[in-house]
Amino acid sequence: MASSSTAGSISLPVVLTTQTPYPLPSQKFMIPATWRRYQLSQLVNKALSLPKIVPFDFLVRGEILRSSLGEWCAENGAGEEETLEIEYIESVMPPEKMSDFPHEDWVSAVSCKVPGQFFTASYDGTIRSFDYSKKPTSSTPAHAAAITSISLVPSTTTSPDTFILASASHDLTAHITEVTLSGTEKSTSKTLATLHLHTAPLSSIASNATGTHLLTSSWDTLIGYWDTSIPATDEVPEPALTDRDRKKRRRVEENGKAAGKRKAPLQVLKSHTARVSKVVFGSDDTAISCGFDSTVRVWDVENGLCTHTVTAAEKPFLDLITIGDDPASANSVLASSTDRTVTHYDMRVSSSSALPSAASASFLHSATPSCLASGPAGSHQFVSGAYDGVVRVWDVRSTKGAVASFRAWDGTKKVLSVDWDGGVVGVGGEGGFEVWKVGVEESR
Amino acid sequence: MAVKHFAKTSNKRKQPFEDDAPPAPSLHVENLEMLSDEENDEDAASDDGHVDEFPEIDTRSDSDEEEDEDDSDDEEEEGENEAEDGSESDNSSLHVFPKAKTIVSDITGQPKRVYPEIEPDYDSDSSTEDAPNRVGNVPMHWYDDLPHVGYNIDGKKVLRPARGDELDKFLQTVEDPSSWTSAFDKTSQMDKPLTTEELDIIQRLYAGEVPDASYDPYEPMTEWFTGKGKEEIMPLSAAPEPKRRWVPSKWEKQKVMKIVRAIRQGRIIGSKPKTTSKFPVYSIWSEPSSSHPPPLPAPKPRLPTNSESYNPPEEYLPTEEERKEWEAQDVEDRERDYLPQKYSALRLVPAYDRFIKERFSRQLDLYLAPRIQRVKLNIDPSTLIPKLPSPSSLKPFPNYKSLTFTQPKGRARCISVSPDGAWVISGDEGGRVSLWEVNVGREVKSWDFGSKIGALEWCPRADVSYFVVTIEEAIHFLIPPNVPSSVFSLTEALLAPASLPPAPTTPSPVKWVSPPSSARSIDTPILTATLPPSSGLPTQVTWHRRGDYLATVSTGGTQGGVWIHQITRRHSQAPFKKVKGAVQMVLFHPLKPHFFVATQQYVRLYNLSEQKLLKTLTPGIKWISSMDVHPSGDHLIVGGYDRKLCWFDLELSDKPYKIMRYHTRAIRSLHFHPSYPLFASSSDDGAIQIFHARVYNDLMTDPLIVPLKILRGHEIRDGLGVLQVKWCSRQPWLVSGGADGTIAVCQNHSFDLWVNNSSDAYAILIHGEMIIFDPDIRGCTRKRSRSQKKTIMPSSPVQKQHGCIRETPGFNVNRKEGIAGTRSEPASLSVSSVAGSLKIVDVPVRSGLRVIHGKYNAGNFDVPITQRAGTPVDPPLN
Repeated sequence: MASSSTAGSISLPVVLTTQTPYPLPSQKFMIPATWRRYQLSQLVNKALSLPKIVPFDFLVRGEILRSSLGEWCAENGAGEEETLEIEYIESVMPPEKMSDFPHEDWVSAVSCKVPGQFFTASYDGTIRSFDYSKKPTSSTPAHAAAITSISLVPSTTTSPDTFILASASHDLTAHITEVTLSGTEKSTSKTLATLHLHTAPLSSIASNATGTHLLTSSWDTLIGYWDTSIPATDEVPEPALTDRDRKKRRRVEENGKAAGKRKAPLQVLKSHTARVSKVVFGSDDTAISCGFDSTVRVWDVENGLCTHTVTAAEKPFLDLITIGDDPASANSVLASSTDRTVTHYDMRVSSSSALPSAASASFLHSATPSCLASGPAGSHQFVSGAYDGVVRVWDVRSTKGAVASFRAWDGTKKVLSVDWDGGVVGVGGEGGFEVWKVGVEESR
Repeated sequence: MAVKHFAKTSNKRKQPFEDDAPPAPSLHVENLEMLSDEENDEDAASDDGHVDEFPEIDTRSDSDEEEDEDDSDDEEEEGENEAEDGSESDNSSLHVFPKAKTIVSDITGQPKRVYPEIEPDYDSDSSTEDAPNRVGNVPMHWYDDLPHVGYNIDGKKVLRPARGDELDKFLQTVEDPSSWTSAFDKTSQMDKPLTTEELDIIQRLYAGEVPDASYDPYEPMTEWFTGKGKEEIMPLSAAPEPKRRWVPSKWEKQKVMKIVRAIRQGRIIGSKPKTTSKFPVYSIWSEPSSSHPPPLPAPKPRLPTNSESYNPPEEYLPTEEERKEWEAQDVEDRERDYLPQKYSALRLVPAYDRFIKERFSRQLDLYLAPRIQRVKLNIDPSTLIPKLPSPSSLKPFPNYKSLTFTQPKGRARCISVSPDGAWVISGDEGGRVSLWEVNVGREVKSWDFGSKIGALEWCPRADVSYFVVTIEEAIHFLIPPNVPSSVFSLTEALLAPASLPPAPTTPSPVKWVSPPSSARSIDTPILTATLPPSSGLPTQVTWHRRGDYLATVSTGGTQGGVWIHQITRRHSQAPFKKVKGAVQMVLFHPLKPHFFVATQQYVRLYNLSEQKLLKTLTPGIKWISSMDVHPSGDHLIVGGYDRKLCWFDLELSDKPYKIMRYHTRAIRSLHFHPSYPLFASSSDDGAIQIFHARVYNDLMTDPLIVPLKILRGHEIRDGLGVLQVKWCSRQPWLVSGGADGTIAVCQNHSFDLWVNNSSDAYAILIHGEMIIFDPDIRGCTRKRSRSQKKTIMPSSPVQKQHGCIRETPGFNVNRKEGIAGTRSEPASLSVSSVAGSLKIVDVPVRSGLRVIHGKYNAGNFDVPITQRAGTPVDPPLN
């Protein structure tokens, strides 16, 4: 009642928990109601006597504490006697822009997975790579049409300067391209294989952690499952060429030296009824896909079966990531949709259970969230890029608002792709490519 | 006795008068004697009996017939006449006029009346009787101081007569016996004896009789024309008396005989003798009850409640505010007519204060006194608003602008969305056509034509992929890039076949040209149809649903141009020789071979196969700008430059079912969503309005039209706002092109979702239908609601959570979801919601997909409407 008037003298019982490597002994603290994040963070630091100050953020019932404790209680109607369970997480520092890489065309896909290199794919059909000093290291004209997605295929066999990239394009094919970067000379690239299945533009491509298999999704409702082995001969026959095609082909061949081998899929996954917008690998031989038919589907890729379907109501999905302690376990899925939400689904429920899996949270955006990227492994954070040019950093536990946000470029240029790895977030979109430093302040 | 005496005195008095006026023969002694009726009655009768003869006797005697009767009559009459005459003479005795004398005539021997001769001198008239004083009728006191009292006729003064004193007067009364019958004459200033007539008048007045002695109130009736002996003997006409006068009537006899016969046969029974008493006696109370229903019993008075107790519990007592409010209210408005009051004991309760008032009003009631009842109009303004379902229950509909695409070269005149809803082509006035993705807004390909784009439209066929663009009397056919080779070859074979179809028998002025295959490229049209010169820019292109026929409307040309082109035959024809008015727009009926033609004020519906006019719709719009037909084909919306939007039910009437005027400026474009019950209208006011338009299959229910959303964001340039709107076919997404060169894509927002806390059931609303998913029953039920949310809430407690916080997917009907590995199980079902109807996807193993659109209907699926086995569900664009 009088918490606002006599807040100075009131203390609230609080239990502090954490999943960070800085745990406090579990006990109840009496904390003055006037305390804010800063005081709480100091308390944790002092109690642990950390050598270097680590800033913390505090989550009270899924909401980041932005006011004093007393005000929060007054707003949310928590009583004074009630023990508040506060979870603390390491603060996300305000994002800082590191560098930008202007592109002539829109950047549709970025990858920051390789340390020291950024790969971008653009609507002009070119895959480019940059190093941290903003120097372009390679430029591969991979496709004749716009590239929609790239994925780095991890491989152990090749040298550290050679990367294998898989790219999906509007020209109905996906390519596996080998790019060799050499420090001083001009880098070389070679198309290893072309993947032929789809009859509509491809929307995404993903490779598994070991780099043995690929998944492609397309607007024609199909998902292709491929291996990355390069066949000796074409698995798919060349189509009967018309004059026009032949001409085009010749031109392509001239540009891209030798076309790769034509590969056929191992498995075709059919169940979606509309455009498949994203497919990713889940844990052990499962795939998770989402599409414009408002479904998220889990697949057994070996058998090509849909094992689980989550159907939302009129939510055409645009992007999907898995998030959790172990990304490969694919327990929880975040999917962004055109109704300006990112929805969190729990996929653990097996299909034999009667209970449907639940959407546990929904993150509201002010514009269409076009792309998602999960944070560092083990964290609960992810970033989303939206059509209003704002990249938001979220914590899964805090559904009420973004932890941090920043605006890439000036004006409202659409963000089409984000990737978050190694403390940097690569943002690709209408204005080119930018790299921002986002992440937990760590004392590594 | 007194009368006698009076008469005598009067006689005496009259003497001097008679002397003065010698020729007054009326004043005979014998006449005077007749004054007394009693005495002279007999005499008079006997005297005058013979005198009075009625002349009728003579006339009677003249008649030939019945003389004897006449005679007897005569005698009787004479008797009567005698009596009459007696009375007559009686009355005439007082006549001032000269009395007639009856003498026996020498000639006839009969007695006759003889009147005295009147001498025509001054004295003959009584009015000119001498009055010595001719002073006139002036007040005599004027002469009070003068020795005379006036002047005589000769102008000599009439001297005032000497008047004695009171003693003389007294002596006079003693001495002169006539003094008491004299009166003072003002004119002569002396006493004048009263005349006999005057005395008689006085006497009669005194006796209370009629003053005029000559008036007889009891005059016997004179029978002039009736009575015995006075019958009309002479017939009025000389015609012989008709026979019917004496022959008994045969007709009457027949009538009478009929009655007689009836009486004999007993058919007529004589009525009973009526009761003799004047007033029939009857009992008022023993009447049989009437047929009316018995009067309603009066309602029982309400039993008193606790609050009416003299010692109610405390909670019934009004607070001070309640008491004030009650007192402030009018008596009629009070909810109850008393205030609860508390008394500790019954003996403390005062007398009933409104006793008198109630008695009074009761009296008024009994008296049926009208009491004025105040009529108060309490209308809640919200009840006047028509009941419409709330827009949030009619989701999905586009409600936010997700992205914009900018046309660099001016107004985005025309846009078209590909049949699969993934691509948009847009054309501007600078001649640039752009192909871009709906969802990203990235231009993939552009074509430059260098002049204003009139219209462009995708071909609705799924197996081929191309679109048409009209520029300057030419229709260009273009193939988008990145189409699959199979589709590409099919399209190419369709548009530029190796062997051209045979030329039509009737040559058409439209030239179809496709460049040779060597010169073909993706940047140039594969086929061009050139309209005859000076036919104007085709501003509208519309496809038949099968994608073989194409209609174009050219405006601004010299000849009004509606052309229908057939792609496969490369043939164009103008279906109308002459069209009244400028054609604004044409449309193919989605199902029938009908063709809508909108001129400036009318919409005409033609049957193309029979080639005749079916209907003329009159929207009442001054200038039609746009129209669109509902996918069912039964409804048409027409928009006009005068801001009106008319909805036609084509089966109902030629007049609009509904006219809406929501835009503030001219309507530019209308479009029905192909699958969702939505339509959009765009206007020069820069706004797009989204409507929910649900059409029911039963003819009894009217279409439900609910305004949902106004989307703004386009700038108004040069008075032009949003020039065209188009829906994406599979999603509730809207693409709109504005005069500011931007094209916006508007998408829908998330749903409201209700989650049941106790079970895992949840529900969503899609287009006013609530779909409840319950994993326990492994299915879903849907309830239709057109009104409030709460009416469709599931019976179990359901808590609404805002903004999709919890979402429980549960559309899975069949748990054998996902092609469960067995080929013996032929199919697995998954149910998703598409466009408000359930879509059952039947998935046979590895044989493509089969889609069955159906409706979930009372536990049974009504299947199948369309079945397409073996083909992919969504025929891809490329």
